[in-house]
Amino acid sequence: MRPFTYTRVDDVATASAAVTTDAVARAVQGPGDTAFIAGGTTQLDLMRDGVWSPDALVDISRLPLNDVELDDGVLVVGASVTMADLARHPEVVRCAVLRDSLLLAASPQLRTMATIGGNVLQRTRCRYYRDPTVTQCNKREPGSGCAAVEGTARTHAVLGVDAGCIALHASDLAVALVALDAQVRLHGPGGRRTIPVTDLHVRADDDPSRDNVLGVGELITHLEIPVPDARSGYLKVRDRASYEFALTSAAVVARVEDGVLAHVGIGLGGVGSVPWRARRAEEVLRGQRASMALFEEAAAAELADAFTVTGTDFKPELARRTLVRQLRDVTEVTA
Amino acid sequence: MTTTTAAPTTGVPVIGAGVTRVDGPLKVTGAVPYADDLAPRDALVGVLVGATITSGRVELVDTTDALAAPGVVAVLSHHDAPRVVRPDEASSDERAPLPPFQDAVVRFRGDYVAMVVAQTREEALHAADLLHVTYDVDEPVVDINDPRADREDDDPAGADSVRGDLERGLAEAEVEVGADYVTGDNTNNPIGLFAASAEWDGDALHMWATTQWPFNVADCLAEAWGIPREDVRVECPYLGGGFGSGLRPWPYIHAAAMAAKVVDRPVRVVLSRPQMFTGVGHRPETVQRVRLGARRDGTLTAVEHTATIPVAVDDDNPENVVSGTRQGYAVEHLRADVDQVRLHISPPGSMRAPGEAQGNFALETALDELAVELGIDPVELRLRNEAVTNPDQDDLPWSSKALDECLRRGAELIGWDERDPSPRATREGDQLIGYGMAAVSFFYFQEPCTVRVVVRRDGSAAVHCAAMDIGTGTYTIVTQVAAERLGLEVGDVEVVLGDSSLPASPPAGGSGLATAISNAVALATSAVLADLQLSGAPGREALARAVGDRDKVTAEATADKPDPAELGMSPSGAFGAKFAKVRVDADLGLVRVERLVSVIDCGQVLNERTARSQVVGGTVGGIGHALLEHTVTDLHAGPQTGRITNAHLADYLMAVNADVPDLEVEFVGGPDRLNPVGVKGVGEVGLCGVAAAIGNAVFNATGRRIRRLPITPDLLL
Amino acid sequence: MSGVPVTVTVNDESRSVEVDPRRSLLDMLRETLGLTGTQKGCDQGACGACTVHVDGRRVLSCLTLAAQVDGREVTTVEGIGSADALHPVQQAFLDCDAFQCGACTAGQVMSAAALLEEDGWETAEDVRELMSGNLCRCGAYPRIVDAVLAARAVREA
Repeated sequence: MRPFTYTRVDDVATASAAVTTDAVARAVQGPGDTAFIAGGTTQLDLMRDGVWSPDALVDISRLPLNDVELDDGVLVVGASVTMADLARHPEVVRCAVLRDSLLLAASPQLRTMATIGGNVLQRTRCRYYRDPTVTQCNKREPGSGCAAVEGTARTHAVLGVDAGCIALHASDLAVALVALDAQVRLHGPGGRRTIPVTDLHVRADDDPSRDNVLGVGELITHLEIPVPDARSGYLKVRDRASYEFALTSAAVVARVEDGVLAHVGIGLGGVGSVPWRARRAEEVLRGQRASMALFEEAAAAELADAFTVTGTDFKPELARRTLVRQLRDVTEVTA
Repeated sequence: MTTTTAAPTTGVPVIGAGVTRVDGPLKVTGAVPYADDLAPRDALVGVLVGATITSGRVELVDTTDALAAPGVVAVLSHHDAPRVVRPDEASSDERAPLPPFQDAVVRFRGDYVAMVVAQTREEALHAADLLHVTYDVDEPVVDINDPRADREDDDPAGADSVRGDLERGLAEAEVEVGADYVTGDNTNNPIGLFAASAEWDGDALHMWATTQWPFNVADCLAEAWGIPREDVRVECPYLGGGFGSGLRPWPYIHAAAMAAKVVDRPVRVVLSRPQMFTGVGHRPETVQRVRLGARRDGTLTAVEHTATIPVAVDDDNPENVVSGTRQGYAVEHLRADVDQVRLHISPPGSMRAPGEAQGNFALETALDELAVELGIDPVELRLRNEAVTNPDQDDLPWSSKALDECLRRGAELIGWDERDPSPRATREGDQLIGYGMAAVSFFYFQEPCTVRVVVRRDGSAAVHCAAMDIGTGTYTIVTQVAAERLGLEVGDVEVVLGDSSLPASPPAGGSGLATAISNAVALATSAVLADLQLSGAPGREALARAVGDRDKVTAEATADKPDPAELGMSPSGAFGAKFAKVRVDADLGLVRVERLVSVIDCGQVLNERTARSQVVGGTVGGIGHALLEHTVTDLHAGPQTGRITNAHLADYLMAVNADVPDLEVEFVGGPDRLNPVGVKGVGEVGLCGVAAAIGNAVFNATGRRIRRLPITPDLLL
Repeated sequence: MSGVPVTVTVNDESRSVEVDPRRSLLDMLRETLGLTGTQKGCDQGACGACTVHVDGRRVLSCLTLAAQVDGREVTTVEGIGSADALHPVQQAFLDCDAFQCGACTAGQVMSAAALLEEDGWETAEDVRELMSGNLCRCGAYPRIVDAVLAARAVREA
């Protein structure tokens, strides 16, 4: 691990300025050399693996972004709120998809450390990306190729990817957030902006070298999560019963009125280079009479264009079954 | 060496009782000293650097930038490291692992090419990144099925056996089943990272190193450096788990000694978790074939079991995949054969029931397939073919065997009678439910062990032995055996282990230590009592009186390896039966173990608590073996070929708490006839058979026969 | 490389040290402060052996920078009990034989001690899930569950 400087900041503007100023001073074009650290659960691991070597860390773990407030049906969550604390909030306890995407993630210790802002920005678990001795990685070295495509790819993505990069976005929470139409508030040198979570991440088949759209010095200050007027649930499928990233997962938010799907929001995990909003499946379902046949049709539509390699070829089928199961369980339509 | 015969037990019955672990308070308070905790506090920190190619030669280790980095004291590589002799393992003529930095050859990815020594770990790690290593790259062979790999078929594992005439046995068969089975590579992954610290005093070497066998490490270091054995001392009072990975003197231990020599200061090395995947052995993958011939009534007429396992370049690992098959069942015609292929992989070694874990899966799955084919109950099939004498040892009677009782009791406990033998017949909602079972005939292993018993002036006692307690409870059982035989309270016996300067011990491995050491303690206590002219279990006051004015009275004794021919019986290992109830999600392929019953015959149970914990723990390892664990190597991925892809504990999946139900364990059988204490090792029988029982239960639940480990959801879609 | 000053309360004792910014809380405990009870199992945030309490809650000390605990309260296994006066969780681990080699035990004990202060759990099933962040390679899990339930029973008695 390379030496770096460490500074702790107490407010958002100073934080943003610290990274921005430093970045300008170093004539850096993108994030990397100077960076924020909060919970540190992704970053320290990456630094130990030797694939990320910042010159300076700006500690934002004590920014005053610790509140969770309900504002006109929208949960406004400070980016420094930990996963454990958010999972305990009464509104979250009542919202199955949010609660379970938090509580089925990582471990109690990691959930106590990891912040909401950091969670949605977590880096891929791709072991080719995470090993600097692997020379072909378009995410680390644009144009160098993708070793995972020819390698061992069981935990890789099949949607939003191509032969240039099959890295998976492994967040559980973000999958629930896209199903819930959540937004992120950003603060950067250029000011503030609010964007949907679905616009936050960059698909690997668009640009593997960029994980997200944040600019230099830009950070997440809050999440805005509409509390759904619908039933919801999060199903996570994994080899071991706990403390593992999803092989596949499905976040489903649905309201059935007179047998018809009046509202549906779907996120898929374990399959996408970004937290996958299943728009095709939603389109098949929306306004239609709920039935197992329809669920099958929707799931098949979503996975129709999956890009698989040896090792991920089981994933589209498992993802289909995961989604169908969760649609059935959330809607309680079993025929 | 004394030839005293141990007297039968007569003292206070602490053997068998659930005495609380004597080292427990140290462990729950964090005061337990592992190897790295004992390192001299002024030691420099060494960080090992592995090759980033899989086969070839190191051209140059350019140390310019690394040596200029803050805190760096030295860099060792093959260019300038001290030259040492490659030793042999103490127990055999097998070659110990190659000491590092002795030549430029890279034999596997992660093979050590250098070590940086610095003031702090952070500085050493940073400097390691600044080394520039250039290589001459050769094409590696890492796939067990690669025809280019050198195949050794002349019984390299000492495992091959032929009985009768296999073809005749098959001709006599009315039913034949045969299939191929594959088990994946596993990594021991004890939670404690292996560590070694070295300090030289002139030409005398003192090390604190993680090992399951300090005596052997000291022997090997003395041979490597060409120094007198008494000038080497290896201490390891505790280790944070081994599971076989601490059985050999691995290269990192040599590296610490070399570095300390070069910088003339103590040096400590702690392996990283990724280095634990390449530096301290692993359970090799296997490709196996089993053919069974039987009559309609279930009588086996022929068994053929062949296996191919990999071995590393320039290394030995005689792993017997067919030991359980050779002695498991009464069958006249048998062929068992293990071949090895040499690959550019890190040296495999023992991992929790080496060979038997993999071989049992194949054999006991094949028997389940035969039972289905015959329409005979799987328990009944095994009982029908019970080996009442050891077919693998001149049909000598076993020194003890209660496998039939294991099978019957296990069936009773799990409710085997309620099982529907037809596959995919029981369903609750989305869950398919199935039952499966397997039997285990674990091999016998014992090596000589010497202990010293000291009776002090105050009547208290101490027991000294170089052996290790690897968490199995050796400190506790030695305390119990000595206390019982001397008539002392448990608190009046001090046990000192884990130090090569103490009397010679065998490894804490092969399920052999408890037998060896408890009988050595029995012999040594008898010897010391004879010296004191006492008999029975005299108790503290009588002992103190007999010691009289002397400071202490000491006796040593060795428990030797028994000679079966002389004894007229075949020394038995443990036997066991495993019964599993699983739930399989019909759509998602998720397998969850709902119940797992183990019934074990391990002779005299020395301590019910620790013995049960060993079986419970082995079962947890078995669940991982069955469903989760798989060290994956890139096989055909260009420059990545030979790289382990999941050397991270988030990616190498071991069972977590939520994977494990409340496990049921029962002990049956009585004391073994072979030794005065009547004990048989219980360290590995717990893991064996679990994978087959689970796999057979998955078949019963789903109708899908998975002949591959681990059994993952993608195989069941 | 200039060090970062850190003032931290460890096991009720205030400590002021200067640390390499790269140093983890785990290495600060073990190397800088000589508290070797907390074990390093992976340094990857994937095993739980290094679990300690920061401000009373369980965290992984391997994935925490030492600099980040400035001003915090850290409790390690050495701080919750001693051989003469075991914490109820330590006593329960001993009574239930909830360990073998001991490498994960400090982390298990600290995780369990924190769990006793957490709400929202009740059954053995809950304990299995909420103790799943602590790997035990010896496989003592069923007995760890027993120990946690036993410690809770003692607390509530």
